[in-house]
Amino acid sequence: MDDDIQDILNSVSAPSIPQRTRDLQALTRAWVNERTSPELLSYPTPLIERVMERTKKQIETIEDITGTLDPRSNFTLVILQTELERFKFIVRSYLRARIAKIDARPLHYRALSQSEPTTLLSPLEQQYLQSHQALLSSHYNSSFLATFPQSLQKLDDTSGGVSMVDKPDEETAVFCRALRDAGSVEVMGETATTDVELQRGDLWLLRWSAVKDAVVRGDVELV
Amino acid sequence: MYAEQGNKLVDDAKRIASLQHLPPYATTTVRAVTKEVRDLDREVTNLLAPYGSTQGSDGTQIKSSFNPADDPATACALLVNHLSMRRNKRCLLAYHRMRTSKLEEMCWNGIDINDLQNQPVSTPSAAGPRQSTTASSLSAEEEQYAHQYSDLLAAYKGQWTDIDLTGSLEPPKDIFIDVRVLKDAGEIQTEYGSITLTKNSQFYVRQGDVERLIQQGYLQRLS
Repeated sequence: MDDDIQDILNSVSAPSIPQRTRDLQALTRAWVNERTSPELLSYPTPLIERVMERTKKQIETIEDITGTLDPRSNFTLVILQTELERFKFIVRSYLRARIAKIDARPLHYRALSQSEPTTLLSPLEQQYLQSHQALLSSHYNSSFLATFPQSLQKLDDTSGGVSMVDKPDEETAVFCRALRDAGSVEVMGETATTDVELQRGDLWLLRWSAVKDAVVRGDVELV
Repeated sequence: MYAEQGNKLVDDAKRIASLQHLPPYATTTVRAVTKEVRDLDREVTNLLAPYGSTQGSDGTQIKSSFNPADDPATACALLVNHLSMRRNKRCLLAYHRMRTSKLEEMCWNGIDINDLQNQPVSTPSAAGPRQSTTASSLSAEEEQYAHQYSDLLAAYKGQWTDIDLTGSLEPPKDIFIDVRVLKDAGEIQTEYGSITLTKNSQFYVRQGDVERLIQQGYLQRLS
């Protein structure tokens, strides 16, 4: 009798969600966040590594099953392949969204990643960004910039009223959902400021700058 | 007359944004704008010459006895020249960036730059603008850029072989799809054996296997 209760208690107090399920959730969340936030978010190296590891295994499993040519396993095969395709799609879309952001504001992110060695970019993305910028500037140079007077040849000039380094708009609005109680954030109106309490399950339309920290902490997700 | 040529480039860039193909590189206009910048720079130097100015190599240290309050007319001329030069530079950058983004897009979509160049331009007007696409519309620099970028992209993609970064960005629904063959594509290998793709035949195949061929226009997806 006691054992039975203990079993039940265990299952209630520690609802063990397997790592795989949590990874999928984390990946989906990272993907949605990346696609909706105006700024580039940190690159989750361990997560992506785990996902890629599993993708590789799944491909092998599928190849094994296909090799046996057992008609009974066809249905399993279809399910496995569908799952694989979906995983591949999320990772692909996630990486492409990041590349698109990097390409849109290369100088800004280059300055950011150089000033502080953050986890903002993966080493691969870093490499891509550097080579792409090198390509672009050599293209500009050979096309027209080389014939310019010295003082106008810079590409990251911030003097003269107009900065050449484009920054993401942090004041843009995002839809977000509170995953747990996340304290309050300040919201600026036209005349006054007010505090907004973020409670679990709430859905808000707020400025990115206001919820950015909460999103990075994982208290809030974008939708 | 100031910056009129630059405007042309911006208009062009705006037009390119909504075009399918890349119109010819505006060599003459680009040259005219660069020349204008050089002329303006020379004029600035001439204007400042009597004041014994020494301009540093980076253009920031201007030690001159020139006092704008003494001679507003010259000061105004200098300002206008200076702003026009910067504006021209911005126009040039915008134009080139737009074109390079187009080229990058082509690389992502798997359109081979070489293929486009080798296309015969036998029917310039009769078949409409589509035929005369990129045959000679790239400048030599752009050609080089396109090649280098596709190399860069291939290198980046090579790190993600399991994901196929340039794959479809549509969420996958079915793993098997109906396709019709539009052009002879020879024989392809799939996990279920090889298929010979002859024109006008129809197949029920795995989407992942034929993704590239659909992008390249060999196959058409039937929904």
